[in-house]
Amino acid sequence: MGPFDLIAAIPLLPLTAFLVILFAGHFTPSALPKCGAIPGILALSGSFIISLSLLPLVYSGNFFNNSIYLWATWSISDLHFGFLIDPLSALMLVVVSLIALLVFIHSLGYMNDQNEQGLFRYYAGLSLFSFSMLSFVISDNLLMSFIFFELVGFCSWVLIGFWFREDAPPKAATKAFLVTRFGDYFFLIGVVAVLVIFGTANFAGPNSFPVLAKSAILSGQTLNGLDPQTWVTIIGLLILGGVIGKSAQFPLHTWLPDAMEGPTPVSALIHAATMVAAGVYLVARIYGFYALSPTTLAIIALVGGFTALLAATMATVKHELKQVLAYSTISQYGYIMLALGAGGYVAGIFHLTTHAIFKALLFLGAGAVIIAMHHDGDMWNMGGLREKLPVTYWCFIFGSLALAGIFPFAGFWSKDEVLLETLNYGLGGSPILLIGYAFGLIAVFVTGFYTFRMIHLTFHGSPRSQAAREPHSLRWNIKLPLVVLGSLSLLAGAINMVPLGEILGIDLSYLHHWLDTAPSNLTAHHYHELTESFSGYHSAYFSSIISAILSLAVAVSGMAFAWKLYQSPNPTESGTVYSTRFNTIYRILMHNYYQDDYQLMIASLTRNKLATFANIFDQKYLDGLVNELSSKSLSLSNSIRRIQTGAVTNYALLLSIGLVLILFIFALLGGWL
Amino acid sequence: MSDLVLLLPQLCILSAALLVLIYNTIFRKSTKLTILTLIAVVGSFCSIASAIFLFISQSPTVTIFGDQLVVDGSSLFFSVIISSVTLLVSIASYNYIKPLQNQAEYYSLLLLAAAGMGLMASANSLVIAFVAMELASLPSYALVTYLKNNEGSTESGLKYFLIGALSSAIFVYGSSLIYGATGSLGFTAISESILNTPSLSGLLGIGILMVIGGLAFKTTSVPFHFWAPDAYEGAISPVSAFISSASKAAGFILAFRILIEAFPLDVVSSIGLDWALAIQILAVLTMTLGNFAAALQENVKRMLAYSSIGHAGYVLIGLAALSGSQDTLVIGASMMHLMIYGFMNTGAFLFIALAEHWNVGPTFKDYRGLGSKAPLVSIAMTVFLFSLAGLPTGGGFLTKYVLFMAAVGAGFWWLAAIGAINSALSLYFYTRLVKSLWVDPPISDLNISSKGIPVGIYVAILIAAVVTILSLPFFSPFADFAMAAANILIS
Repeated sequence: MGPFDLIAAIPLLPLTAFLVILFAGHFTPSALPKCGAIPGILALSGSFIISLSLLPLVYSGNFFNNSIYLWATWSISDLHFGFLIDPLSALMLVVVSLIALLVFIHSLGYMNDQNEQGLFRYYAGLSLFSFSMLSFVISDNLLMSFIFFELVGFCSWVLIGFWFREDAPPKAATKAFLVTRFGDYFFLIGVVAVLVIFGTANFAGPNSFPVLAKSAILSGQTLNGLDPQTWVTIIGLLILGGVIGKSAQFPLHTWLPDAMEGPTPVSALIHAATMVAAGVYLVARIYGFYALSPTTLAIIALVGGFTALLAATMATVKHELKQVLAYSTISQYGYIMLALGAGGYVAGIFHLTTHAIFKALLFLGAGAVIIAMHHDGDMWNMGGLREKLPVTYWCFIFGSLALAGIFPFAGFWSKDEVLLETLNYGLGGSPILLIGYAFGLIAVFVTGFYTFRMIHLTFHGSPRSQAAREPHSLRWNIKLPLVVLGSLSLLAGAINMVPLGEILGIDLSYLHHWLDTAPSNLTAHHYHELTESFSGYHSAYFSSIISAILSLAVAVSGMAFAWKLYQSPNPTESGTVYSTRFNTIYRILMHNYYQDDYQLMIASLTRNKLATFANIFDQKYLDGLVNELSSKSLSLSNSIRRIQTGAVTNYALLLSIGLVLILFIFALLGGWL
Repeated sequence: MSDLVLLLPQLCILSAALLVLIYNTIFRKSTKLTILTLIAVVGSFCSIASAIFLFISQSPTVTIFGDQLVVDGSSLFFSVIISSVTLLVSIASYNYIKPLQNQAEYYSLLLLAAAGMGLMASANSLVIAFVAMELASLPSYALVTYLKNNEGSTESGLKYFLIGALSSAIFVYGSSLIYGATGSLGFTAISESILNTPSLSGLLGIGILMVIGGLAFKTTSVPFHFWAPDAYEGAISPVSAFISSASKAAGFILAFRILIEAFPLDVVSSIGLDWALAIQILAVLTMTLGNFAAALQENVKRMLAYSSIGHAGYVLIGLAALSGSQDTLVIGASMMHLMIYGFMNTGAFLFIALAEHWNVGPTFKDYRGLGSKAPLVSIAMTVFLFSLAGLPTGGGFLTKYVLFMAAVGAGFWWLAAIGAINSALSLYFYTRLVKSLWVDPPISDLNISSKGIPVGIYVAILIAAVVTILSLPFFSPFADFAMAAANILIS
């Protein structure tokens, strides 16, 4: 039994749990304790342990990159399912399985203890969601990625719309599905393009498409009539369409804030480890491909930086706790995109990891608050929960400080590295990245602002409602995940403490080394070389200490500004500067820059025209043709049926006429007459 | 002696037929249906086994009895088809004819017809071909009229006999013209004679076309098909299954052999006859008429009868595409299709037999809701129907695919296109029955369980279903067998 024999079990365990919950839940519901949570917890524990056991193996230089199942051989390429285990996917497996496990445990408190109905559907959905995401992470080729990417989207539709009898959840689910699907169209075209142009969709190995693309560019020949680098840019942008949709980047971010209509544990899973993470993970997975095209990288960086700032500003005025978190997610994924676009591969992965931890923490914390508040998520009804919910409060504080990027929490180290890398390459000859850096730095201020506002309104001051005065008590199944994630939010930054390393004069960039143990074409070092030689990214080696101090100062000043605005024990939005001097801005922010409005307008305008046209075309021409054809066929068969009269004399006559006709025709043709 | 060994597939069937008669003569009063069935089953099973054994051990082509008979891969291949259908029908008949009279006569007629069909597969001269055809036909007429007190049965038997007599006359007359023109009756002798001394081309051409006409009767090709819908509908369903599957296969091997060996296209072109053109016309007419007429039938058995005519049209594509460059492939594809068709079509007719056994009415409406009452056989029937339509529930999908691709490869894309259009249409009427079985609301007064499960029919249907389904994933043995047979025939 080899070390990698159990890889398949990582996704298959949750899949088994899904099947068990689905069928046992339908046929023998009483046989499943906790409405199916237990099989899910067991399965995810198994996946988590196996994922953990892969880490030392991978660190000692073992990789797995094999096709498991060949499902079609095509003249251009083989289509197969396979696994790729390298430092990136191994790390992501640990993160995903850990957070999914904690979400399952949290759900015991959030769903079971609240006597929700339809829990089999819930846990079956969660299990399938975990299966899809884990399979997506270990995919060894783009087509398999796409398949599970879609399955992740489908599962999120199921779970966001869990309370389908209410009004808003089904709409939010459909919106999430449609908006991400819009991006996925481009992704699908990108997959086909990769297969057609490069003949393989493999991520790793000497015959992977990033490697082929690289040698095509180096060889200087044209590919299908175009310069290879142009192809890389076109395909990169097509795939980016799927990424922007799933990772909720501008302008396809509008689905994510609505998606909080789903149960809060689902939001935690979507925001931290599955749906949204899938997009940026894909960019990291094929980073060797993106690194070849400076245009695509710049677009990624700018979209990311702009999204980081835009979403952060919208988070400053929201009333709902979960909405603030939703916009912060969009903003934080903007940072990850900024890092990846700016050549900071390690920084991007780092922030992806730490964000997964503290955002899961914040959402589960929000879930705890919402339970305590008897299912009221409006922060203006909260206040003063600090004394009532001490564990939740401290964990939430840890998560918030990580989010705001305050020393020494995890988010500080990772966000700082994102900004540092952007600044480095921006100063090193790619000035366009400096725009992204500016966006990112301003967003740090805004993040500090809304983070403090969120904590202050929720936990500090005096209670502003009956529910806040007498909160619901919380059980261990809520607190345990919070404590685990809270400690990780404090400690996870230790995996890559670059500024501290510079101060102490030692190398603390463990994550960097970890990602460098990958197979030759997947290392951070290799990606660095690629961005350097193909995209002209050169590092200016700016001091990480100065950068860290700068961003810390900005974050703290953002918090201080919020403190100044909301410091009173009974803060009101109307009493602040918003209603007086910045009324217009406030309104724009409340309406999310009218993003939804203009997208709806475009959609309804084009949709109505297009739908009318399609309807007419379908009814008149397609259906008309089919109807005409079938009615003609049926009337023809009616007449053919009548040839068979039933009288044997007629048969003999027709038979003889037929024979004579044949004889006559062939006699003429053969010239026998 | 060794010559007789080569005829084992036919001799097994023949001895089973004689054994049935002897047994019945000795135990006149106490004839047991079980023993009759057993004799028939063992006989046809031995026939299949010996045919496969001979195919594996035998050198390519042997002619025996002064070149009158030939034993080669293709004759053995068709022996397997014919005996398999006989085996399935024998098993199923056990339940079906239990309440009926003249059981020994039934089995002996069935086996004698099968022996005749086996002989058709080995015929190597026009005389033997004619004798074998009559040996197959005469018992068939009697089988169709087996319910001799039933008006429908006797009427359809009479029609079958009259049209058969007319067709036989045409075949014999054609043979005599050929003999007059060439002075030979053996297939190879005829082709040599045409090659060496091409004379009397008009006489010869008309003779060939009339022989084709006689064969068209056996293969139910338009316009010699008229008997088929009436005979299939009037006969008891096991007999319909037998005639529509085995008899058709026998007709086709004879057509293949006569046209390829006695009248090769390159040889008969010297007399200005392109029989491939005639077959192309027949193929198009047969496919189209069969499927279009099937589309609007209300009677399920009649629908299957026309569908079987449509399938004859598909198989004719193989002959029609012979003037192309892919002779072995097109004939091999036709053979594959006949083999799989033998199982799926027999299975479908036996399902009708089962329904008749349960007193289910004859129309589509009467089959409503049968799926919930007898799910296992209904699933089998669904497999047969979809496989007949060319969907991948069984080997029918692959054989049609190979057949159409071979036709395209041979340059007859239009034949393949017409075949594909007809296949699409056929989905309509096959699906209608599937819909009746599964989707439509059940008929309340139908009570199956009171009549018990007829084991024989069940077993036969399930064997046919298993072979049909397995021929999809394990297609290569069927394909290799057919290609080897076709290869021998062509070279």
